[in-house]
Amino acid sequence: MNYGKKFSSFVGLRRMDLVMAAIAAAIAFSGCGGSAPDGDSNEMVLYHVLHTRIKGLDPGDMRDVYSIMVGSQIFETLYDYHFLKRPYELIPLLAKDMPEVSPDQLVYTIKIKRGVYFQDDVCFTGGKGRELKAQDFVFSIKRIANIKYLSSNWSLFDDRIVGLDEFREYTKSCKSEAQVDCSRTVEGLTASDDWTLVIKLTKPWPQLISAALADISTAPVAKEAVDYYGKDIISHPVGTGPYKLNVWRRDSYIELGRNPTFRGELYPSESEEGDAEAGYLDDAGKPIPFADRVVWTVIEEYQPTWLLFLQGKVDATVVPKDSYGEVMTEGGELTAKMKQLNIQLKTFPDPSTYWLGFNMADGVLGNNKPLRLAISRAIDRQKFIELFFNGRHLVADGLIPPMMSSYDPQIKQKGYARYDPQEARNLLEDAQVLYGAKLPTLKIAVPGADTWSRQFGQFLERSLRAIGLEVEVQYMDLPTYQEKINTKSAQMFASGTTAGTPDGQDFLSMFYTKNASPGPNKFNYSNPDFDRLYEQAEVMGDCPQRDELYRRMEIIVLEDCPAAFLNHRVGCVLHHDWYKNYKPHAFAYGLSKYRRIDMAKRAADKELLKKIK
Amino acid sequence: MTAYIIRRLLYTIPIVFGVLVLTFTLFTVVGGDISLEIAGKDANRQTIDEIRKEYGLDKPLFLSWDSQFVNHLKNALTFDFGRARDREPIIDKIKRGIGPSLALTVPIFLGVVIISVSLSLVVAFVRGTVWDILAVVICVAGMSVPYLSFILFGQYFLGYKWGFFPVFFSPYLSLARNVALPVLIGIAAGLGGNLRFYRTVMLDEMQNDYVRTAFAKGLTMRRVLFKHVLKNAMIPVITRVVLAIPFLFLGSLLLERFFGIPGLGYLMVEAISSRDYFVIGAMTYISAILVVAFNLITDICYVLVDPRVCLE
Amino acid sequence: MPKGGSLLKDGLRRLLKRKLAVVCLVVIVSYFLLAGFIYLAEFFDWRIGPTLWPEQVGESYAPPSSKNIFGTDIFGQSVLRKTLYGAKVSITVALCASLVSIAIGVPLGAIGGYFRGFVDQIIVWLYSTLSSIPYILLILAFAVVLRDKSIFGHKLTGITAVYLAIGLTSWVGICRLIRGEVIKHKDRDYVLAAVSYGCSRRRIILRHLMPNVLHLVIIDFSLRFVAFIHAEVILSFLGLGEASRPSWGAMINDARMELSRGVWWQMAAATAAIFVISLALNIFGDALRDSLDPKLRIQ
Repeated sequence: MNYGKKFSSFVGLRRMDLVMAAIAAAIAFSGCGGSAPDGDSNEMVLYHVLHTRIKGLDPGDMRDVYSIMVGSQIFETLYDYHFLKRPYELIPLLAKDMPEVSPDQLVYTIKIKRGVYFQDDVCFTGGKGRELKAQDFVFSIKRIANIKYLSSNWSLFDDRIVGLDEFREYTKSCKSEAQVDCSRTVEGLTASDDWTLVIKLTKPWPQLISAALADISTAPVAKEAVDYYGKDIISHPVGTGPYKLNVWRRDSYIELGRNPTFRGELYPSESEEGDAEAGYLDDAGKPIPFADRVVWTVIEEYQPTWLLFLQGKVDATVVPKDSYGEVMTEGGELTAKMKQLNIQLKTFPDPSTYWLGFNMADGVLGNNKPLRLAISRAIDRQKFIELFFNGRHLVADGLIPPMMSSYDPQIKQKGYARYDPQEARNLLEDAQVLYGAKLPTLKIAVPGADTWSRQFGQFLERSLRAIGLEVEVQYMDLPTYQEKINTKSAQMFASGTTAGTPDGQDFLSMFYTKNASPGPNKFNYSNPDFDRLYEQAEVMGDCPQRDELYRRMEIIVLEDCPAAFLNHRVGCVLHHDWYKNYKPHAFAYGLSKYRRIDMAKRAADKELLKKIK
Repeated sequence: MTAYIIRRLLYTIPIVFGVLVLTFTLFTVVGGDISLEIAGKDANRQTIDEIRKEYGLDKPLFLSWDSQFVNHLKNALTFDFGRARDREPIIDKIKRGIGPSLALTVPIFLGVVIISVSLSLVVAFVRGTVWDILAVVICVAGMSVPYLSFILFGQYFLGYKWGFFPVFFSPYLSLARNVALPVLIGIAAGLGGNLRFYRTVMLDEMQNDYVRTAFAKGLTMRRVLFKHVLKNAMIPVITRVVLAIPFLFLGSLLLERFFGIPGLGYLMVEAISSRDYFVIGAMTYISAILVVAFNLITDICYVLVDPRVCLE
Repeated sequence: MPKGGSLLKDGLRRLLKRKLAVVCLVVIVSYFLLAGFIYLAEFFDWRIGPTLWPEQVGESYAPPSSKNIFGTDIFGQSVLRKTLYGAKVSITVALCASLVSIAIGVPLGAIGGYFRGFVDQIIVWLYSTLSSIPYILLILAFAVVLRDKSIFGHKLTGITAVYLAIGLTSWVGICRLIRGEVIKHKDRDYVLAAVSYGCSRRRIILRHLMPNVLHLVIIDFSLRFVAFIHAEVILSFLGLGEASRPSWGAMINDARMELSRGVWWQMAAATAAIFVISLALNIFGDALRDSLDPKLRIQ
């Protein structure tokens, strides 16, 4: 082939040609190190998928779900949820027992477990992790209060702990994060000795344990790590948990490895009914964690995720909406093909609610209840769930999801979510009269312009056009959307939330007047009756009376209609047969330590997967 | 000739300055208040103000010595890009992403250029025949089929069904194995448009008198094509080829996304959708420098290939 | 010896002789007519054909059948109607963007290439700066900035801003090309001859140089047109395209999810529509170039 000579006429290109080829070759032949997964048969590795990259592994400033998912294997909190028991129960993890609470509910005394060690890391003298002390918790919370740290978790502690707000004021006068003197006393946050933590509250806070002490933001962080790593601490987590960070390739994957100095824990022996039959107690009493490594790969698109799952390279995945037909039959069962491949399905209700919200501060919607009701009646929630969620989710007849203790079993009969286009049209006429002129085109803000969002927007348009109401859906990226909502400039908006605790308060706090935008009350809703009940319930512990109050508050909200509640999510996860001890949990994340791979089954099933394509 | 080069070099300064002005204006005008976003969902006024101070957003825009614009210039000139929103130093992100991006785009680029330039000469040879029309149809088909389809089908059949290549990036495989399939897809998808372009350029050149003369002289088709036509058609070819090079650094977004190649293209779009201006600014600046550099190279190549350009 | 005539008339005559070119022209014109028809229909509120796209004509995701040639989408809407409607969006994008970029790029390229000197330097500086900034970023930035502004009292919607943005960022290519060619031709004999007998500069540019580079403009136009149609697809992917109305880009984008459930007809329909007009434009562009080539005049 004489083209080489011919290409000598590529004057400028030739030299560049060679240079480029050299670069490419150099890159190509530098493979990555690291052991191959399948070849190493003795190592137990869990393979998961993240659909977006994680932001950071610093518990004080972790807010996105994926970071929490990964970080919860490295960091531990004072309390956590029992893996198997239902209803969900909080048990001590780093604490020794449940706390001693003073009669006025303002002072909590918590004893810390002994013999808990931070993982080995260079930030400690001699590289050996030191023992956890009560002072570490004091430090971690003060850190969040430090305004220079710019933590997004401060709202959790705002006006809760005696002396903490004053501490925050003090930090404002410091020039930088490092200059803040963390040994400054905060009256409500002290360690009476190395093993006892004492917290004094400004007012009763029944959710202290579930919302704060079980939340990853209060995971203890070693001062040595903060001093040593500075801003790089988000990629150098130093925790007390069963796993530590091996590799974090930011946009690509993250790998955790077994923490060799982990104090050791045992797989629970107690459970709820039916767990033994489901095989969840097979490993009762054994030392955990089982897996040597846990790997998360970042994959944004569904096709590669699905294909990797079918190849057995990923242990578990959510069922994508459009592969649904391949996976489930009409009756909601697994298809024959899935069963042949030994793939299992787990469905579980999510403590979440999604809605089309109304901005009560808006001139058109705020004072026009018939209009809001009309919009709510015009949406066929059942059809919505069929089209977009394969019929899996539950219609949101009210605000509170079914799995909460305060859920009203009669709520469906009350008919707040009924689909009635005729009634909607009548209400629309009333709305017109009330408004006094022709109703303007209303705008709906949707965060996202991807296929799903567009189809959702079109669904809303169609539903409302059918009753004679013209709307314009505005698709925007998330930051623009948040800005619009926070500045109260959106008319209607599509949103939702998932509870972080089994308490229904997460849902109700969204309607409390004092929480108006930029707080959680994006509806800018205000009702003094509601506020009164809310303040009453705020200081009550979990009890039937509080549930009753919650229900009354829910009815007030449903009557006023600051949102059209659409659906409660139901999670649907597929996993391979060899992935054991996977019991879906609505609130806890640090569950990788319980998972076990049946290595023999995995080898056998993988052969099966290769054959049946 | 040296004077020409020096002159071209001096021209780069106003361009870089222009880019800095443009990017700065775009970010501040387009930007919106990113402090709201950084503060998180339920932050209050004070945290937001504090964040503005930390990021220097409370300084005046242009008119003082310590204005945001001046700082922007300073940072750019010292290549101090600071940290991204997730607090990782931006320079680290870029260093990490450049390898995979280049490993993807360079082979595609080379493959496409070499194949399409060669093929274009062949097609120019058979111009007017049914082969020519067929080539045009195939090229247009290649151009019309969405890039997405190439990726989806390629990944499904070559990766999953027939198992020739890995479906997705795996850190345990060598880089070569990981990029093989996306490179193949990239070349297949890119051939259509490029072949069309080069064919036009070649045909254009072939209409010149000297070509007819060359044939009349009795030179073989091969010699005419490669020795004469190619050389003279170089200006548009070089323009296109060399100026495409700076953008190789940005990687190929779709390929990176579907195959998990951790490169810069993906970084860029992530940054845009999460409004991470620090990253966007840094990458824009770098690409500007590269474009400027390659423009210079292009102009130098022009001179080498067609000396007439120098006379001015 | 054929009868003499102006270049254009001559070229047209030669063009019409080639049947293939005529067929392509018909195809192209029909796309434009379709787009125009839809505009009219929307203006006068005629309920016919493509404007009826929101109507539900079948089950959700029904495959192609005798009732619905291209099947239906998630809401049971006719994919055929959506495809026809999509022509409006694509033709509009491509036309606006092409015209804007040619209107800016050609004059600037010609002026810069001919006059050189300071004027040329400004022009080169301008397009170098613009082309240094990644395309995606520029489009995004323009689209955001132009949003919510008004031109001559006509409010700019998001999508119109995008059209303008594409045009404003795309003139660089044609400008550079024209400039390169003008530089090449500037010192050719015929130009020097014109200068020597005292031809004004404007006349030289318009009557002598332009026809010789015009074919490049035309070919560029036909190729660019196609590129803009494709740009709409990419913009849809980025979330900037037309969101509430059907467009080929949106249909192709939705296919990412749909293909995994075996729904191939939306992507096929949109791709076919794009393919046909691309092919027509390409062949026609070629034929046009051949016909307009001044050198072929005396055959």
